[in-house]
Amino acid sequence: MNLVHLIELLFLVTILIVIGLPLFGKLPRNILFAPIDPANEEFKHLLVRKEEVLLAIKDLEFDWKTDKVSEADYSEMKHKLEGEAMTILERLDQLKAEGKKRKKK
Amino acid sequence: MDDFTLQYVWAYSSRDLDTFYKISSFWGGQKGSLLFWTLLLSIYTVIVHIQNRKRNALVVPYAMVVMMTITTFFLVLLNFSTNPFEVIPVPPEDGRGLNPLLQNYWMVIHPPTLYLGYVGFTVPFAFAMAALICKNLDDSWIRLTRKWTLVSWFFLCMGNLFGAQWAYLELGWGGYWAWDPVENAAFMPLLVATAYLHSVMIQEKKDMMKIWNMSLVLLTFVMTIFGTFITRSGLIQSVHTFDEATLGYYFLAFLGVIIVICVGLILSRLSLLKSNNELDSFLSRESSFLFNNLMLLGIGFATFWGTIFPIISEAVRGVKITVGPPFYNQVNVPIGLALLALIGIGPIIAWRRATWSNLKKNFMKPLLAGLLAAGVLFPFLPLGSRSEIYSYITFVLCVFVMTTILIEFFKGAVARKSLHDEKLPEALASLVWRSKSRYGGYIVHIGVVLIFAGIAGSQSYSAHTEKRIKIGESLKVKEFTFTYERLGFIEENATKTRAIAQVGVYKDGKRVWTGQPEKEFYKGQNQPVSEVDVLSTWRQDLYLILADFGEDESATLKIYVNPMVSWIWMGGWVIAFGTMVSVWPDRLEQRRRLERMKIQSAVFSPAQE
Repeated sequence: MNLVHLIELLFLVTILIVIGLPLFGKLPRNILFAPIDPANEEFKHLLVRKEEVLLAIKDLEFDWKTDKVSEADYSEMKHKLEGEAMTILERLDQLKAEGKKRKKK
Repeated sequence: MDDFTLQYVWAYSSRDLDTFYKISSFWGGQKGSLLFWTLLLSIYTVIVHIQNRKRNALVVPYAMVVMMTITTFFLVLLNFSTNPFEVIPVPPEDGRGLNPLLQNYWMVIHPPTLYLGYVGFTVPFAFAMAALICKNLDDSWIRLTRKWTLVSWFFLCMGNLFGAQWAYLELGWGGYWAWDPVENAAFMPLLVATAYLHSVMIQEKKDMMKIWNMSLVLLTFVMTIFGTFITRSGLIQSVHTFDEATLGYYFLAFLGVIIVICVGLILSRLSLLKSNNELDSFLSRESSFLFNNLMLLGIGFATFWGTIFPIISEAVRGVKITVGPPFYNQVNVPIGLALLALIGIGPIIAWRRATWSNLKKNFMKPLLAGLLAAGVLFPFLPLGSRSEIYSYITFVLCVFVMTTILIEFFKGAVARKSLHDEKLPEALASLVWRSKSRYGGYIVHIGVVLIFAGIAGSQSYSAHTEKRIKIGESLKVKEFTFTYERLGFIEENATKTRAIAQVGVYKDGKRVWTGQPEKEFYKGQNQPVSEVDVLSTWRQDLYLILADFGEDESATLKIYVNPMVSWIWMGGWVIAFGTMVSVWPDRLEQRRRLERMKIQSAVFSPAQE
């Protein structure tokens, strides 16, 4: 076996290790093979949306501080965004309750 | 390295070739470049796998399948059509050597940078396809690939700029961009990707425009494959096309399959991609992004049309025609100017809904700065041609845009100062640090403004002359006098001889520079290669080419005085800095992600990103 073959062998072993890593990793099998749960998906999506709406409120405050929106528009938009946030939070609570109930079962 | 049993090594290398160029000859030919592409794609796939091995188990496996399918396509090409490991039965003693035009350091930098961008767009494409396939169409695939998109965009952008710099310094025609079909092929995905980078923010913020963003990211990838098709089909003649460009049908078929699958998937998931949200107001940052998308795609379409028109013309009428720079300039320059104006307008407009009266107020200072620039520049700049008028407008717009961006930084810092009781420089630093993507983006915009200014300056106000002169004679270009002083020869090695002309450059009777343009002769190559000499300053480039010389030591000198070219390269580095700020890991965002996962796993297990 010459050096080139040895390097090829090492390369092959490295590739196999890298590809095979997930099989020996800490990722639980229930994550790997879990069926899709629509409620979980919606919950996940709404958590992101909640964050985005809260960031939008922050952005709006910044835009107001830097004089890009009038006070009237600021109040109206803030009210609208808070409404959006409330709807999301209510739905999140609903899903949370359902999820916990299912988890207990 | 000198294994000439391999046909590819024989064709693109030789024993006395510098090691530096031996490495670059890896991607110097078609076979090697495809192997390099496949290598990069494989490395990217491994990185994506390692990065996402514990993330979204729904989308990631499909994305890996898409990436590996693309890798398989390249591997099939390499194994069955254009094998870089083809063996010569009786190995020759030495190789044929690398084309002298490719023997410069740009060959080492430009293609890999461009390929890093090209190949990088496979990642967002694969995730978008995966999201479509498994119907997981919220914005998680966007979050997973946000940095990949930014980094790929950056490499594509720098690849284009490095290519321009290479053309400028090596090809010796005094320019940096010729609207060559292959330049266009690298420029088009950049335009579509830029449109995507902007419109995706609307999806992240408002959960809308999913169909549009999906189409843009797929189109970006399609454009990268289209670019590869152009270079490797042999259909279009260009300085960039490979000698043995024979892979057109493979890439055309691949392109066809991708387009059919993408369109099919989008159509079949149309109902899932629809959003109930709407724009809050026509006067908002979101709508300015929509205009920006239209402009970018407008330039993209014009460029695409100009690139494929010769193919269509030849196929339909049998007439070979070339679409030259006048077409592109006529169409793209006005749209480009509107785009530049939008870069200035965007930051002033608030997200979701801006107030007209505040907008007018915020416009005043940048507008005044622009008008002031228009007044100050008017007596100094000639306005005799359309190009000069465009350049004048560009400068005015550059001042306007730069003012809006600087005001944006200033206002943000002042707002933060009052909120957090910080000193102004401290407030400015923490402002940028805490909103990296926003302010990184603004820094990128500053780079773009510099590029626009550089293009405007160099396109309209450059001057050149070309004349055969004897030793001791002089030429005058603008305020500079160029005196041809002597001609010398250096035998660098067994294969390379350099002919060097010495040119003294004077301004107001004072010597400011000694230029040494060269002609290099390579053994076994019929055509000598010109090595230009450039003195680059922020004001202008003095650009010298030794076009020819005779036995009586007379020489034909081509001399260019190109104003502001260095602004373009400087803009590139500012873009690099801005991108670095944007992609710098955001600890707040990571914390938010972990928090989300925690909440999710408390309610539903398993928690998935």
